[in-house]
Order: sequence, then structure tokens, then C-alpha cells
Amino acid sequence: MSAAGSIRLDNVTLGYERRPAVHHLTGVVEAGAALAICGPNGAGKSTLLKGLAGLLAPIGGRIVWDGFSPRDIAYLPQSAEIDHAFPIDVLDFVSMGAMRRIGLFGRIGGEERARIATAIASVGLEGFEDRQIGTLSGGQMQRALFARLLVEDSPIILLDEPFGAIDAKTIDDLVTIMAGWREERRTVIAILHELDLARRAFPQALLLAREPVFWGPTREALSDSRLAEANRMVEAFNRDAEDCRRDETPHAA
Amino acid sequence: MLHELLVAPFVDYEFMRRALIGAVALSISGCPLGVFLILRRMSLAGDALSHAILPGAAIGYLACGLSLPAMTFGGLVAGLAVAVASSAAARWTALREDASLAAFYLVSLALGVALVSLKGSNVDLLHVLFGSVLALDDATLIFLAAIASVTLTALALAYRALALDTFDPLFARRASPLGEWIPFAFLALVVLNLVAGFHALGTLMAVGIIMLPAASARLWTRDLTMTLPLAAAIGVASSYFGLVLSFHSGLAAGPVIILVAGAAYFASLIFGQTGGVVRLWRPKRHLEG
Amino acid sequence: MDLSRETRAACPRPHTLVSRRALLGALALLVAAQFPSAQFPSALAAEKAPPPRLPVVASFSILGDLVRTVGGSRVDVAAIVGPDGDAHVYQPTPQDGRRLAAARLVFVNGLGFEGWIDRLVAASKTKARIVIASRAVTPRTDGEGVDPHAWQDVANVKIYVANIRDALVDADPEGAELYKSNAARYLHDLGGLDAEIVAAIGGIPQARRRVVSTHDAFGYFSARYGVEFIAPQGVSTDAEASARDLARIVDAVRAHRVGAVFLENIVDPRFARRIAAETGAKVGGTLYSDALSAPDGPAPTYLRLMRHNVKQLTEALAP
Repeated sequence: MSAAGSIRLDNVTLGYERRPAVHHLTGVVEAGAALAICGPNGAGKSTLLKGLAGLLAPIGGRIVWDGFSPRDIAYLPQSAEIDHAFPIDVLDFVSMGAMRRIGLFGRIGGEERARIATAIASVGLEGFEDRQIGTLSGGQMQRALFARLLVEDSPIILLDEPFGAIDAKTIDDLVTIMAGWREERRTVIAILHELDLARRAFPQALLLAREPVFWGPTREALSDSRLAEANRMVEAFNRDAEDCRRDETPHAA
Repeated sequence: MLHELLVAPFVDYEFMRRALIGAVALSISGCPLGVFLILRRMSLAGDALSHAILPGAAIGYLACGLSLPAMTFGGLVAGLAVAVASSAAARWTALREDASLAAFYLVSLALGVALVSLKGSNVDLLHVLFGSVLALDDATLIFLAAIASVTLTALALAYRALALDTFDPLFARRASPLGEWIPFAFLALVVLNLVAGFHALGTLMAVGIIMLPAASARLWTRDLTMTLPLAAAIGVASSYFGLVLSFHSGLAAGPVIILVAGAAYFASLIFGQTGGVVRLWRPKRHLEG
Repeated sequence: MDLSRETRAACPRPHTLVSRRALLGALALLVAAQFPSAQFPSALAAEKAPPPRLPVVASFSILGDLVRTVGGSRVDVAAIVGPDGDAHVYQPTPQDGRRLAAARLVFVNGLGFEGWIDRLVAASKTKARIVIASRAVTPRTDGEGVDPHAWQDVANVKIYVANIRDALVDADPEGAELYKSNAARYLHDLGGLDAEIVAAIGGIPQARRRVVSTHDAFGYFSARYGVEFIAPQGVSTDAEASARDLARIVDAVRAHRVGAVFLENIVDPRFARRIAAETGAKVGGTLYSDALSAPDGPAPTYLRLMRHNVKQLTEALAP
């Protein structure tokens, strides 16, 4: 595992076609941090994660990956973005994680094979190697995705709603794996709707409602008052919005 | 008797042997590509690209007259240009791949027709450019064999990368800097095979042989590593029986090969193990566990 | 890859027809030039305007050549399907429509050669008289219907020339002298050509008078001069080949020991080469069937076209 660095956000605005989904966010994600990102629907959480992963360029401010490239980041998208009908079995799917190391054309040698087998076992999918991913249940698919992440062996892991719509047993198993990552001093950032899980497993939290509401220790971030504040955010875009001038110095009259 | 029917035509006539070799070469390289086209939801791309190559061939014709190498080269360049442009547009603008391909190929086609009409002497350009499987000369056979080798080598090396990009392009792009180029490279291979196919075998056959066996193969197995060779095998069989049929019946060779491939498709629709109608009507008993 | 040797020259020479105004102006000048030339000989010599040219259109290059020869300096001929063009699959352009509209006479081959001419004539709303050059020619039929390539028999071309002459005389009686003398001279030349061909073919041993050609356009030539043409494709240039037909041709070539295979100047030459390679027959030169060659080619006029074809045949079939 290569060394992780920090991710710094300088007054970052992320969005689509000039509409900000994340508005003026500043902060640092330290190496080895475990950060939960929470907030109401439409708060810009997925957008922020994409920005952190280097998939979306900011429309204001900048993101600095200190000491590493965003390519080294392992990113777990929401499950809907994967083509489940594709004819690939679990083993091949999990093996994809190795491509980062061996390249697109490399062979999967003995060491990689062992790593893949361990990953599959860790998530409890032994015996599922030959199953087509289209036949997996939601929980099984999520396990397979985690197995791929394990194989990737990345120092920074970003997860977008990893526990959506899966059974409690799977959630417990996956939380255990995430705890293991923390022990290995990997940086873990996860978007979570399950607030009790956030309180349980993540020391830091960012409460986002397009603008940052609070970024700091989880207990404070997810306090009732803060949560109420976040919920007051308007979801729809302001149709009559003008150019944002917050960053400019005020003109002398 | 069977020998007379099935083997004798190829023994007695060299043009039949050449036709078989050429069609087999195209099947082996084109059919696996067809499987990926289907998986990438680009089943109509072959047809679109076949029109896109026209202006390139037209420019070749304007520059060098009825010169097949010039027109082939021109066609290749035009096809690659359209493939690359539509991929780039799909990546960086709001349009998806199917819309951007449609846009580019239509412009390309119109440009080609306009260019040809410029010349005045109105030779049916496409008719000349697109040959027949029965008239394969040495140079064309070598060309086909070369394309087949390049395609097979590329598929063998990049099969996993291509599957990955088809299935989870986000991951592919992040796994390697080369990941960006996979869609371009794939389309380039498709254009190469299409031009080789048109040049040697006629427009109908080239697109048909790429898509039909692939569609049939998908109805028999879900395993990708099985689908690819099965598609190639169906293509080869269609070529063989199509040629035999053309020989004995007097029907034109190219269309008959495609009709045989079409018959295979219909049979697969009905009897296919993983998608056929029969399986739905008479399901087997479920397994123990 | 074998290169077809047809290198195009620049675009065909544009045959701009004279506009109506220019024609009137020229006519006015012609009238003026009728004033007694004895009074102002030198001045008139300088001022004498060229005679007005009759605008005519011919449907394809060979016909255009015939019309030009008979019409001489009194006609301005434009051919719709130019050299090396394929009249069977030709797509008319708006320019063709304009030419037709401006013409006084339109010469077509007839016999179903120009499938597109009726629509073009209707669309152009031309008031020109349509002259069918093959009128009074005895047509041949083959497996595909009527064979339009009547000009491959020189005797038929004599009939064409007579029809052309008569049409020109009718449209432009003042030029009658010129047309008649041009036609007479040309008919004489054609007679000579005909005799030449008969003699040349006569020099080939009977048993060897068989060739394979890619285009089934030589039926009239074959019937008249006694050379058998076997064609892999039908009369239309876009019929696609079947394996059985090709096999039959190969068999025929082998069985009859056909000496030569010929390529035609507008169809995919690969078929002929394949047959030649498979049977050991010689590949002859290009035979011109439906169109003249470019002006710098071997067949820029009808006479040279026929002579070229015969030369290719005799050379290829020489024992």
C-alpha cells in the first residue's frame, strides 16, 4: 500500500452547468481520517465525493491531493451505475481490482490470485466465484464491490452510500471490513444516510447542505440542532440566481 | 453424394477456396467484435460507420481515379475520423455515443455524396469500391488476413480491458491512463474490419457477418469467454454453407451467406439455451440448490 | 493490389451552351453580314461573325461523338454521361436539366439504355425534339431483354448517322449541305472501319474466336463479326454474381479453351482477373463498351474506340 496524503479543499464549488451543488467548501481530509458525509437529499454529497475522487473538476476553488494522484483513490459508486446485465462472473469482477497494479494487459499471477481469493473470502462470497453478477442479490453485489475494493488495496477509499438497501447481516460484515481499513490507517470517506452507523464507526463527519453546515467531530456534526439546520436547506435551484460574487473584494463605493 | 454437395465445389474451383478463406478470416475477426458492439449497445454502429467511410473513398477516387488502394485508404481514414470524433464528442459533451455517431456519420455521408457528384462522371462509387467474395485477389486476401491477425491479437491482449470498459467504464478509466483510449481503439478495430469487409466482400456482408452471428451466440451462453468463439464459429459455418448454397442454387453469394446467418439467428431465437422461446414454454425442472 | 490505370484528367470540358440572347445577337450579326461584302471586303472579313451554333445534347459520350462529327462547326454538343461514365446507373444532376432545357435537339440511344432520360426530359421541361438514334435498327434480345448496345455493330452506326443527319437537317435546314457532306464522309469512313474489322477477325482462327468479358455489351459485335463473348454478369452493371454462375464461366472457359479475358472500363475488374488466374486464360486489355475514354486515352472517338477494341481482341487471341 502506497503512502496516503491529505486532500485539501480551498473554497471549492462543485456543480453542473454553473449550478452549484457544493458551494464554497473549505477544509482538509487528513491522511488516515475516517470521515462520514451526511446531509439531506440533494445536498451535493455524491457530487462532493466525485470531486474528491477526481472525477469532477471544480467550478470554483480547487482541490489539492497532497503527495499522490487521484488515480490512487478507490471509488465505490452507487450500485445503479454498474451494468448488471453484463456477462461477467464474480471472480472476474473482483479480479478487476488488480488492474490498477498489473495494468490493463497484465497477467494475473499467483500473488494476485491469492489476494483475490482472500478478498472474496473476507466478504463471505466463497462459492460464488462462478456466479454471474446479474444473479446476485443487492447484498451480495455490495459484498462483491467491497471485495473488489479490497483487491485494489488503495490507501484512500471513497464510498457512495455503501449500505443502501441491503440486509443487516451484510451491513455488519461490511462495517467490520471498514474497521479493518481504519486499523490499516487508510483514509476512508463514506456518504451515509444511516446516522447511527456514522456515529458508531466514524470519528469525523461533514454535514453538508450544499453549503457546509459543520465539519468536525461526529457527535457535534450530527447533533439535533445541526441536523435541523441542514434540513432547512432548499433543494431546488434558485431560478433567478445571479453570478455568485462572494469571492470578490467589495468595491469602494 | 455429400462430397459432391459440400466439398467438391471447393476442390474444383479456386475462387471458391479463396471465397471461403476470405469469409472465414472476416468471421473470425469480425464476429467477436460484433459481440462487443452488442454489449456496448452499439448494434447499429456498423451500419452507420459503413456510410461514414464514403467521403474518404470519394476523396481517394477524386485524387487517384478508380484506384482501390487509394479508395480503401481514404475510406479507412474517414471511418476512423468519424469513430474518433463521435467517441470524443460522447466523452466531452452532453450527447451520448449513439447520437454523436449518428450526427457524424450523416455529415460524412452527405459530404461523400456531394464530393462524388462534383466529379461529373457519375460512376457508382460504392458499387466499385465494394467488391464480391467471389473475386478475391491475392492482395485482398492478404489484406483480410492482416486485419484478422491484428484484430485477434488485439482482442487476445485487451479482452479484459475491453470487457472492463464495456461494463464499468469509470473504473477502466481510473485503473490505467490507457483506459481513456479503449473506446477509441475499439471503434478503430471495428472500422478496420468494416473497411476490410466492404472492400473484399460487399457492404451487406460485412455488417451482416459482424452482427448476426454475435446476436445468435448471445442466445446460447452467458459466459463471455464462450460467446466470442461461438460467434466466430457461427460466422464461419454461415460462410461455408452460404457459399455452398450459392454454388448450387445460383443465388448471389454475399446475400446468401447473410441469409444463412439470419436463419441461424432465427433458430437461436427459438431454441437458444439462454434466451430462446422454447426454454420459456417448456422450462426444465428447477435444481436442488 | 492491381491499380486500374484510369487516371482522370481534370473535370470534363464544360460545354456551355449559347444563351438565347447570345444566339439572337449572333443571328443579328449574321443578318448584318449579308450586306454586300464587295463594298467593305477587308472590314467585313474582320467583322464576320461565326455562324450560330445549334445547341444539342447527346445522352452519352459515344453518341456525342457521332453527333459532333455530323454536325461539325454548326452544332454545340454536350454529352450527359461523359467519358468513362456508366449510363446504366447514371444519376442526373441539375446541370443536366439546364442543358436539356437550352437544347434544340436531344439525341438518345433508345432501346432502354437510358433509364433516367424520360424523367429528366420531363423535369427539365425542354422543348427540344427527342431523337432516337437507334430508330430503324434491328434490336437484339438476350436473356435480360433488349440489348441496347447497338453501336457495337458498325452497320448499325451507319443507321445512327443517317438518323442524326436527318434530324439535324430538319432542325437546321441552312446547314443541310454541311450535314450531308459530313455524314457522307463519315459513312465512308465507317464503311472502311467495318471492312477492317471483318478482315481482322477473319485473321483469327475460328476455334479461338471466344473471349470472356465482364460486361455483356458486345452482343451486336458478336453477332456481326463472329466473336463469342461470355460474360460473368448480366447486361446491367449492378447484378451481383453467384458462385454457380462464376463456376459455369470458369467451366466454359476451360471447356472451350477460351484464350482471353477482357476487362471493361467501368466495372469491377477483379472478376475478370479471377477467372483469368483460375483458368490460365490471358487477361486482355480494356475493352470500351459504353463510353469513350478520356481525350488523352486510347478511345476518344468512336472510330478509335472500335479500332482499339479490335486491336485488343486480335492481339489477345493471336495463336
